[in-house]
Amino acid sequence: MSTAERLPQRPAVSRRAVLGAAVVGGAGVAAARLWGGAALDRLAPARAGQANLAGRGDWNSPLGGESAQVAQLLRRATFGAGPAELEKALSDGFSKTVDRLIETKYAPPPAFGGDAAGRLNVGQLQQWWVTHMLTSPTPFAERMTLFWHGHFTSDFRKVGLQTPFIYWQNLTWRDMALGDLRTMLKRVTTDPAMLRYLDLATSTGASPNENYSRELMELFTMGPGNYTEDDVRAAAKGLAGWVEPRPAAITPDQPVAGTFAPQRAYKGAAFKYLGKTAQWNTDSVLDQILAQTATAPFVVTKVLQNFVMPAPSKDYVNRLAAGFKSSKYDVKTLMRDVFKSPEFVSATAYRSLVKSPTEFMVHALRALGAQSAAQVRLALAAAPNLGQVLFDPPDVGGWPNNEAWISSNTVVGRVNFVSSLLDSVKAALPSAKDAHRQHLDGVLSPQTAAALNQATDDHNRWLLVLASPEFQLK
Amino acid sequence: MTEEIGINQLKRRDFLRAGLVFGAGAAGLAAGYAAVPDAFARAVYAAKTNGVANDHVLVMIQLAGGNDGLRTVIPLQDPKLHDLRPKLADMSVGQALPISGDFGLNQNLKGVKSLWDQGKVAIVEGVGYPNPTFSHFESIRIWETGDPTRRQVDGWLGRTLAQAYDSFGHPLTGCACGTTDVPGALRDLQATLTVINNQKQFGFSGGSEVEAAVGALYKGTPGIYGALFDTAIATARETIGTLKSSDAAYQPMAQYSDAAKLVYSSKNQLAAALQLAAELITTGTGVKLLHVTLGGFDTHYTELNRHDDLMGYLDQAVSAFYQDLSAHGVADKVLIATWSEFGRRPKENASGGTDHGAAAPVLLIGNPVKGGLYGQAPSLTDLDPTGNLKFAVDFRSIYQEILGGHLGADPKEILGDSFAKLGVLKSPVAAFG
Repeated sequence: MSTAERLPQRPAVSRRAVLGAAVVGGAGVAAARLWGGAALDRLAPARAGQANLAGRGDWNSPLGGESAQVAQLLRRATFGAGPAELEKALSDGFSKTVDRLIETKYAPPPAFGGDAAGRLNVGQLQQWWVTHMLTSPTPFAERMTLFWHGHFTSDFRKVGLQTPFIYWQNLTWRDMALGDLRTMLKRVTTDPAMLRYLDLATSTGASPNENYSRELMELFTMGPGNYTEDDVRAAAKGLAGWVEPRPAAITPDQPVAGTFAPQRAYKGAAFKYLGKTAQWNTDSVLDQILAQTATAPFVVTKVLQNFVMPAPSKDYVNRLAAGFKSSKYDVKTLMRDVFKSPEFVSATAYRSLVKSPTEFMVHALRALGAQSAAQVRLALAAAPNLGQVLFDPPDVGGWPNNEAWISSNTVVGRVNFVSSLLDSVKAALPSAKDAHRQHLDGVLSPQTAAALNQATDDHNRWLLVLASPEFQLK
Repeated sequence: MTEEIGINQLKRRDFLRAGLVFGAGAAGLAAGYAAVPDAFARAVYAAKTNGVANDHVLVMIQLAGGNDGLRTVIPLQDPKLHDLRPKLADMSVGQALPISGDFGLNQNLKGVKSLWDQGKVAIVEGVGYPNPTFSHFESIRIWETGDPTRRQVDGWLGRTLAQAYDSFGHPLTGCACGTTDVPGALRDLQATLTVINNQKQFGFSGGSEVEAAVGALYKGTPGIYGALFDTAIATARETIGTLKSSDAAYQPMAQYSDAAKLVYSSKNQLAAALQLAAELITTGTGVKLLHVTLGGFDTHYTELNRHDDLMGYLDQAVSAFYQDLSAHGVADKVLIATWSEFGRRPKENASGGTDHGAAAPVLLIGNPVKGGLYGQAPSLTDLDPTGNLKFAVDFRSIYQEILGGHLGADPKEILGDSFAKLGVLKSPVAAFG
């Protein structure tokens, strides 16, 4: 179900009042502009005295200014920026930063391997990936890999850990993350973990398994309502024939695709699929899906809900979808169009997305410069209670987004992660003097401003910044 | 603004209004709401309408992924089953636990079978809805909202909370156990509910100073998620205290174990989730509508062992839960019901599994139930054009029974329509009849 349908409405005031929430009186005082010189001051001007932060009853979008645009870009396209990255991006400007993120070839993660027999340990695999999210010079590639991991999802429970398949999938998704959708779909269809996860590897033309066929159309490309049950069965016939790879020797860090076994494919007469009768096979099925008008808008909507706003307008979706389709489904073109669209920096987009648990935790680790194995393990330990365990999505739909990340359980879990993280960096805590500007654009609610004004030390200031509602949003 | 009342005042007000009527007693009155840890009294305070002012509790168990009805309640005499399922049928039939001449329960549902023998299990056969969708997510949404036309966005239990209960002052009235997000069935923008994944971790690890600081931060939060954030924190703070005393007071009277063989889903901690539910129920926290989930039912391949494992897992968890409630003397109040987005295709596939199907049985378990078979088992020869089982009972008939007969709410107000009555409850709330 789409986020658009579930966009939270501001409930009647009685609800808040009954909860005992203070009614916000007045809009607060706009921050005075006292420029301090460094790039950060372009983002959110320092104020004369730290003890005098002012919040607003609403969060006025600062996205009219280029520096706030850059900061938002780094929150959404990467996992938040440290001071050096922010400084560089601010001096490059928005447009150049978008181009750099998109055009820089990804830095491959270090080889992960597994044990001698090629068996994986999922905890170590998670640690390996989160560490790379933290330290990679190309975090946009990691952000896109995470996006595709939720979209073309698989879980280690069904795929298993006896082969490197789920690790290979991560390598493949990173490698294809900014390619064209046609090539991606072929790699997804023949990916060994996916062949297992959605059962294409055990499907045959004579007795097709519908699992992959259905989810390929419903979840990966077209969305429900744009094909019939007959189309599900037809595509299942056309796609059948793939089996898991059985290389003579598995080289853990070199993914191998599944292989096609013609004797298992469909051998009967031509049949109808999405309105056309033909002798369908995997390539022509994928081509036919990309020829459907539903496909580009479906994928674009999902991208926009992850990177721009929870309820993009039809016009906006269709405009980007037209560009996506005419670029032959080039994801680089799409992402450039997304970041450079006026909607990306509109007031509606500002703080309209909730950070996923992974984004939240990696951003917090980066903010504190925490990169040790023990600190990464804190994030892994917190993940189940926050609702996002890497390589273990809740179901074939991947993870839900935005408001689904907010519950009484997850907000407590997020605060507890911050507490444990702050305890672990005790001695090496960076100064929190600029934290609210660097990580919250200096745009604070009256409560956050008041709490920061009262905080007496860096530990408390960091706690408030990282546990604040402002920091949960991107 | 007349509505601007703090949580404590609201409780107090409701207490005064409802407490006198239902006789919670002068001692309770003097001590206030928190000093009356009695399930009945709590339930009364949570009621917004008179009808629901009883102490009944509902536990919905979601079998996520599409549970195979033909391997849950197995047709024993139909030769067609073997034709459709050469790999899956014989083992199922041969080992089934007969509940009538024609039907048997999955061999791993031993505890459920023993409850069946005591007349505590109602099986509604052939449950579904018209023009079924075979998409997990669409069908889950239909079951969650109770609306096959897909216009409704709020969950049927969420609407119940919003319309019939005072969930603002009593955030535990609706509670999801063993998960991190709000299940769609409980979702409603006008209802407050609690989500507790694991009671041991549900609390502010940084201590009361952190809790107070966060409580001050999340008030009047701006933005489109502001109310959700503030509600989540307020609810958590309210609930953490309650849970602490529950945890101290609760003595499990049954053996819960999640050590059973796990299948491929991360959501398989049903026993732990039900134990948390038992704790909340038996210690008088005022819970009314509980939701738990067991995943892994999307058995497209090698279904035989996987589905049997899931059945055994469900059976162990439910048996322990019932035993626990019973030993605490509250089993008369609690109705357990299973639901799944769809059943599975009668014909098996090449992977030794089954694809998405349609109609399937629903189990209602507990002392409030009038045991027996209801509805109509679907024919294996008269399949629909997609090769799936035809439904005989609209799933909303079951919701209607639960809402009207068990909770005493107004089913028509919540479901928007009336459905055929089933009569699955022993002594339904009078107004429902």
